[in-house]
Amino acid sequence: MGNKRIINILKKEWRVQSRDLNSILFVTLLPLLIIGQALLIIWLVERFGGDAILANNMFQGAIENLRNALPAVSGLEIERQLQVFLLSQMNVYLLIIPTMIAISFATFSIVDEKLSGSLEALLVTPVRTWELLLSKALAGAVPALLVTWVCGLVLILGVVGIGWGQTVEMIVTPSLFLSLFLLTPAVALLSFLLGVIGSSRAKDARSAQNIVLAIIFPVLAVIGLQVSGLVWLTPLITLALALGVAVLDVFVLRIAVRLFQRESIVVKWQ
Amino acid sequence: MAIVEAHGLTKKFGEFTAVSGLSLEVSEGEVFGFLGPNGAGKTTTIRMLAGTIAPTSGYAVVAGLRPDQEPENLHQYIGLLTENPGFYNRLSARFNLGFFAGFYTGFDTDHQVEKYLRMMGLWERREDRVGTFSKGMKQRLALVRALIHQPRVLFLDEPTAGLDPEAAHEVRDMIQELSSEGQTVFLSTHNLVEAELLCHRIGVVRTELLALDTPENLRRSLFQRQVVVQLENPTTALVNTIASLPFVQKIEQAGNHFRLQLTDPEIYRPDLVKNIVEAGGRVMSVSEERHSLEEIYLSLVREEEDDGQ
Repeated sequence: MGNKRIINILKKEWRVQSRDLNSILFVTLLPLLIIGQALLIIWLVERFGGDAILANNMFQGAIENLRNALPAVSGLEIERQLQVFLLSQMNVYLLIIPTMIAISFATFSIVDEKLSGSLEALLVTPVRTWELLLSKALAGAVPALLVTWVCGLVLILGVVGIGWGQTVEMIVTPSLFLSLFLLTPAVALLSFLLGVIGSSRAKDARSAQNIVLAIIFPVLAVIGLQVSGLVWLTPLITLALALGVAVLDVFVLRIAVRLFQRESIVVKWQ
Repeated sequence: MAIVEAHGLTKKFGEFTAVSGLSLEVSEGEVFGFLGPNGAGKTTTIRMLAGTIAPTSGYAVVAGLRPDQEPENLHQYIGLLTENPGFYNRLSARFNLGFFAGFYTGFDTDHQVEKYLRMMGLWERREDRVGTFSKGMKQRLALVRALIHQPRVLFLDEPTAGLDPEAAHEVRDMIQELSSEGQTVFLSTHNLVEAELLCHRIGVVRTELLALDTPENLRRSLFQRQVVVQLENPTTALVNTIASLPFVQKIEQAGNHFRLQLTDPEIYRPDLVKNIVEAGGRVMSVSEERHSLEEIYLSLVREEEDDGQ
């Protein structure tokens, strides 16, 4: 019965989303913007800043990590190594997409229902709090994940379009697959769960967004660590990270249920 | 058999006591009116009974379950119409109802949706977005939502508040129809006419329960029953004769109308008429003065106010 209730909420959420043109535009255009920006930066760096980067100590350390993780890179020219390095950031860079969507959408998930008065009606159905919160998070995380995968494909096609087709072969690695199919779903769910928590605690969508904005910092930190060469997401590290985030998902869901104050919501939001 | 029980229900919000020591029982099939002024604790009581908020002390049992301990299980058996019902305005009436019905088991959703939408006169608008509905239509739709899973107890919180007279009338008709089908209804209202029209018993609340009985018993307990007699050209002698009758406790005259307080109106009303006729009087009409529920309610609330001062 729990599954039936979750599916019921998912269907409703997706129906509401499909009726909201602003949401559809945002979910499709924002990721494309992020990907377009990534392609532009890669192209600009490679075109105009390549030499400076190649001479940089931090890059030397990062490229060393890359060579350890991907020995085949050592045989390439240093410019090609730079291309592989830049494109290898894609696996973590894509994590920004579900996180950004979560900040924009999950924050409305409960606040909107509070404002419309539909939440009290929902809370007098047999739905459990965990079912409500999980389905709210999944309703956003699943489309965000699909969009992220599409963006990954667009990014690869874009890179081929730039003329780096041979380099692409070097970055389609187990790390990328583990990141896309394990780490990204776990991060997407985590982002939306945190967004739902913010939404359930906030008085309006704006303050919910302020609360939830902090979600993006850990993702940026992972990107920063990899770009700076301090950490390289090998398949093992990616797998461990994905499992860690998945465990965190369960933990955060439990916290979300505890923080969801039915009584406060019912009494204060009329 | 009681389907709703409250035992010393108390709810405090910080220092403020919304409901204090409320105890009552509602039988299966009964339409129970819960009357009180704004801020009297009606909505808070309903929320405690529906399991959406927990009591500070005391407990309730609804449909055999404790709302504070098993709210989700209880929700399978109750329906609640809130004062300001919310819907998903971008979705159709049918989708909205189908969504809420989807949380329950044991019935054919499509059949129930059609049955109640037709009953409420909303079937033709089933595919329209709820956002295009008037307040009255939304209220009727909310009533359908509360009913769709055939709850054992239906909690209605101010179901006609803010509705135009026609819409309010339709909602009352619906409640009467449900009552005739044996539906248990817990009706919170401050519309006294509505309560008198619909309810088998009434509880008057103002933080505490002030009175609980049928409207008729409340009348009896609060007001002496009075008989009003209209006479044709009453003479002083006739008035004196009436006043001297042993079962007449009090007599007030206003033109041809006499308001009489009898020892027992049921027994002595025929004797009164007989004595008037025997004394040469001509009786134009005899009726019993009924105090309205409004008078009962105001009497109780003012009495409580006086006690509080």
